[in-house]
Amino acid sequence: MKTENQIPHDSAVGHVTGEAIYIDDIPVNDQLLIGKVVYSRYAHAKIKSFDLSEAKKVHGVHAVLCYKDIPGYNQMGPVIKDEPVLAENEVTFIGQAMFLIAAETEEKCREAEMLIKIDYEPLDAILTIEKATEKNNLLGPPREMKRGDADSVLKSSKHVIGGELRTGAQEHWYLETQACLSVPGEGKEINVFSSSQHPSETQALVAEVLGIKKHEVVVEVKRMGGGFGGKETQANHVACWSALLCYATKRPVKIRLVRDDDMIMTGKRHRYLTKYEAGFDDDGLINAVKLEFNSDGGAATDLSFAIMERTMLHADNSYYIPNMSVKALVWKTNLPSNTAFRGFGGPQGMAAIETIIDKIARYLKKDPAEIRNKNFYGLNDRNVTHYGQTVEHNRLHLIYDQIIKSSEYEKRCKEVDDFNIKNEFFKKGIALTPVKFGISFTTTFLNQAGALVNVYTDGTILVNHGGTEMGQGLNTKMQQIAAAEFGVSVDRVKVNATNTSKVPNTSATAASSGSDMNGMAVKNAIDTIKERISNELAQIWTQQQSNNPTIQQSILFKDNLILDSDHPERKISFSDAMHQMNLRQVSLSAAGFYKTPTVGWDKIKGQGKPFFYYSFGMAVSEAMIDVLTGQHTLLRTDLLQDVGDSINPGIDMGQVEGGFIQGVGWCTTEEIKWDSKGNLMTHSPDTYKIPTVQDIPKDFRVKLLEGAPNPVGTIRRSKAIGEPPFMLALSVWLAIKDAISAVGNHKIEPEFSLPATNETILLSIEKLKEKIKR
Amino acid sequence: MRSTVSFILDGKIIDLEFKNSEEFSSTSTVLNYLRSLHTHKGVKEGCAEGDCGACTVVLAEFVDNKISYRAVDSCLIFLPMIHGKQLITVENLKSPEGELHPVQQSMVDLYSSQCGFCTPGIIMAMFALYKNYSKPTREQIDDALTGNLCRCTGYRPIVEASTKSCVHNCTDHFTDDEPQIIELLKSISKESIHIQTDNQKYFRPASLGEAISLKHQHPEAIIINGATDIALHVTKNHELLKEIIDLSGVEELKAITKTDSSIKIGAGVSLNDILLPIEKDFPALHEMLKVFGSHQIRNLATLGGNLGSASPIGDTLPVLMAYDANVVLESLNGRRVIPFNDYIIGYRKTVRKPDELITSIIVQKLTNGSIVKSYKVSKRKYLDISTVSAGFKIDLNGINVKSIILAYGGMAERTKRALTVEQFLIGKRWERKTVEQAMTLIEKDFTPISDARGSAEFRIKAAQNLLMKFWLETKK
Ligand SMILES: Cc1cc2nc3c(=O)[nH]c(=O)nc-3n(C[C@H](O)[C@H](O)[C@H](O)COP(=O)(O)OP(=O)(O)OC[C@H]3O[C@@H](n4cnc5c(N)ncnc54)[C@H](O)[C@@H]3O)c2cc1C
Ligand code: FES
Ligand code: FES
Repeated sequence: MKTENQIPHDSAVGHVTGEAIYIDDIPVNDQLLIGKVVYSRYAHAKIKSFDLSEAKKVHGVHAVLCYKDIPGYNQMGPVIKDEPVLAENEVTFIGQAMFLIAAETEEKCREAEMLIKIDYEPLDAILTIEKATEKNNLLGPPREMKRGDADSVLKSSKHVIGGELRTGAQEHWYLETQACLSVPGEGKEINVFSSSQHPSETQALVAEVLGIKKHEVVVEVKRMGGGFGGKETQANHVACWSALLCYATKRPVKIRLVRDDDMIMTGKRHRYLTKYEAGFDDDGLINAVKLEFNSDGGAATDLSFAIMERTMLHADNSYYIPNMSVKALVWKTNLPSNTAFRGFGGPQGMAAIETIIDKIARYLKKDPAEIRNKNFYGLNDRNVTHYGQTVEHNRLHLIYDQIIKSSEYEKRCKEVDDFNIKNEFFKKGIALTPVKFGISFTTTFLNQAGALVNVYTDGTILVNHGGTEMGQGLNTKMQQIAAAEFGVSVDRVKVNATNTSKVPNTSATAASSGSDMNGMAVKNAIDTIKERISNELAQIWTQQQSNNPTIQQSILFKDNLILDSDHPERKISFSDAMHQMNLRQVSLSAAGFYKTPTVGWDKIKGQGKPFFYYSFGMAVSEAMIDVLTGQHTLLRTDLLQDVGDSINPGIDMGQVEGGFIQGVGWCTTEEIKWDSKGNLMTHSPDTYKIPTVQDIPKDFRVKLLEGAPNPVGTIRRSKAIGEPPFMLALSVWLAIKDAISAVGNHKIEPEFSLPATNETILLSIEKLKEKIKR
Repeated sequence: MRSTVSFILDGKIIDLEFKNSEEFSSTSTVLNYLRSLHTHKGVKEGCAEGDCGACTVVLAEFVDNKISYRAVDSCLIFLPMIHGKQLITVENLKSPEGELHPVQQSMVDLYSSQCGFCTPGIIMAMFALYKNYSKPTREQIDDALTGNLCRCTGYRPIVEASTKSCVHNCTDHFTDDEPQIIELLKSISKESIHIQTDNQKYFRPASLGEAISLKHQHPEAIIINGATDIALHVTKNHELLKEIIDLSGVEELKAITKTDSSIKIGAGVSLNDILLPIEKDFPALHEMLKVFGSHQIRNLATLGGNLGSASPIGDTLPVLMAYDANVVLESLNGRRVIPFNDYIIGYRKTVRKPDELITSIIVQKLTNGSIVKSYKVSKRKYLDISTVSAGFKIDLNGINVKSIILAYGGMAERTKRALTVEQFLIGKRWERKTVEQAMTLIEKDFTPISDARGSAEFRIKAAQNLLMKFWLETKK
């Protein structure tokens, strides 16, 4: 039998039968219009003039809008207001929205689009970090974080290595592209059905853009067909556009970006150029690291600074670095504004420090895992990060010991070496990488969540919370939490679509914090209701036998019953009790709230405790490369992840495996390329290659760390799981590098970047071969 | 001759008339048709170009006295192509009693869906697997699922659900319904279809003779077979195809004939149907087809289409060139047999005349110990277009090269042989030193381009290294 924590995803049956509804599936009346976004074809240009008159004449077209038609504020930037909803006099990237069309069919939209005349004056475009640097085109002031004196320690350090690392952009490739349906209400009211990770922000922006009040906008999110950060801020865009068209036509308007448009118009994971220097001793113990992160922010700010901050806070990954200097620059380019993506800057930071460790090992001719182990944060000393937070409840050593054994790391290293001696044209490599990921929004006020729990007189429960469901199983966990708190079976609990009129002013479902925060808010609401119920029941039972009162604290909720644990005969079924409560005028609905305790982060000083706790994990991967073609095969991955006490192991496993494979894509086949004009060359799945079923490790052994409840007080002692496993894919990347390195018998440091495409691998091998010849 | 397209959906025959329908044209895709029905919104669009599988449906057809079930990408299929077939979507999988199908149940039990958007397509790919294999191997499961992208799960639980559910000897409620379905399918006439609307003519001939005379009357008409190339003109570029001759109903083109010395493959045989017959005698072609597109794509795509497109990155072309295959062209004026070497003459240009059809491809078995190998270098190993591909053939005389064919794709505007390198190698000793010298000559034959798939530098290196690979696999 399945235990309570093994229930399936609450939408699983809907998924497999096709009954689960996404934005494009919502039944709408025959008034529905299709919206289309006309976007810039130039990376940077002045709009000298435009003419919409012919387009407006097309039969079946109901609106063609430009920036002048915006009733409110022409801005949709989430934090910094530097993103116009529709371009005014200038376009700053290819894919930037200029005009909106609403028509009866898609064909009519296209017909109208062809009739729009635009006169552009092309301007010089900045398309690389290098060019932005040359022009000193920063998106905002540089930032620095420091501990000790990296410069002088580097000078006196026995060994020093340095270099540059490039990590590539990544497209989210959620299966459901950005979509939104706006339906007019009465007067100024508007109902927005969005595929958004952040309905409250969507609501705020729609209100601003339409020039109305927040209480006139209702945003609802049933589920997303994948988000991964790509719908944290950029789902707002489609929402604003469809809302504008809905307002202009007073009809329901749906916009669903087709795949190529979605890829062209929306931002990606930031590509980085990282410069590094590290000093260390004969044993590989690091004494100083200097890093300079340069990210490509794109044309607008979006979340680039928060993302860069997380890079800076994860530049240490799992290692104690006594002297550390981290500099960060976010560059402005003429590309779509880059945005949140699972890991949120963490992967780029960790790729740098893992490269450093890997290089140190090769330099010293030592096993990289050993160097990693040596530099891990200590349990009692060497345990304070460069930003001053103590790494408490450190599980790195525990996990390391387990995975080194379970993966038979040492034995396999030898086998890999043997294989490489015997084979000239195929080489194998193996690598272990850890992850220590800080859980909390680093913008401290965002660490809050709300819920609204309703219990009905038939004993069923409807949970509303501020988080959004994008496949991660958040609603399932909320369902489990509510059922457990009320002591009822899960089938009594339903989790509602996220709706801004039910739970207001929420934070994005991001930073892996959805279950932690919303779970606590749900519990908080339930505690309130239970308090009322038990108070009432205590009175009832005491009245019945006043010489033998029921103490409220003794009342338990379990097995679909409510009972007095001191007097087992005093019990009532949950549904009867709810009926009773209603008759006795007890409110069965309550709002809940939660804010994460003990986080406090001084952004200016770069010091404090930004994270409530850390999640830890480790992976060992083995890869084989074909020396002649650069193609790789992922032979085996062992992965051990700390999730605390898992609320639902099936769902958590899914997050671990799915996150890891997404990371493998970033590290291997997913390559974003722009041409010299700023056109996205990889704008469809024809040229942009996310992993298929054939790309997962041939032997894939994933485990959740057992018997390790979260020592800090999270909901049911669980840990956040959404992002950390993504970064474990760096083990695959470094296993490939190890295999390349074997071509030169590990004597020469290979040139390497991320992603390790077949081209990167082959050209790196060819360069190695040339160096060997010389 | 008829103008109505008929197929089975939800157990009933649907008759579509295009003349009176403004909503659909003859080049509307099955995906768009299904999504227009409020009852079939489970079928999803993830890309509209055959790369994600979210739109996967199963087509059931009565052939060789039984029903065959095939997964296909509904975004690439024009409505008339499903004439005479049963269209099965995710909505049809529950039993009449409302029970989940075994593939659905195992996906629920094993946490195989997260956001769920890919799931309906995955379910249909699994359903086809279920109907075709009892206890499939991991390789068969991987192949069945390659055409379905999932961004959430990392696939492991989907593979597990496939393994655990495909154990019922392929039987389910569809098996129970087969007698009625067969009757319904038989009741649909297989006569030819001509659909003419104001701006479009769509012909679906029922015989080769009719196809040839239609092509004679309409030399400008676009031929389609599987439409996996042509459909993209509609779904991605929104082109209006004015005249179409759809060969998917011509049985004569679906024949495979083997003799002692050769195999003749009809231009309309789906690539999946070629795999088995060529496995033993034409391993290099077999290898190439295994990494061609996805299972769904290969259920539609044909050799006729690959040769018809004659794309510089068409995967079967270099290997067919290496086999020195013959292309058979037919028109009202008769039949021509063209050696492959002479077939392609430029960028997507061949010697085929406007009134000619490709009817078959003839490949001779290898004799006297000659060897053919094929290679595909692509960013992702499966479901990707080649950056560089190759088909090589060698005849050795002792240790010396007697004759050699080095055909490359992705290196020039067309599939092209490395003639300088071939010349250099002929008569030389087939040994590492010679091969290394030969590798340096590749640049004399090719000046490839840089594009989204790879740089020129990479293409040259890969092309050179494939020679080494070939030597390693053929050296004495
Ligand atoms: C997702 C996806 C993946 C793909 N992967 C690959 C791959 O790995 N390798 C590869 O090489 N290709 C690939 N392709 C391209 C395509 O599938 C192949 O070219 C396929 O062989 C085309 O066959 P078809 O029957 O579908 O062609 P169609 O689209 O029907 O026709 C293609 C062309 O050939 C002409 N034609 C077709 N039949 C005849 C005939 N009998 N006589 C004369 N002309 C004819 C047509 O007029 C048209 O110009 C892929 C396509 C997609 C959408
Ligand atoms: S929609 Fe992606 S394959 Fe059809
Ligand atoms: S479950 Fe989300 S894409 Fe597969």
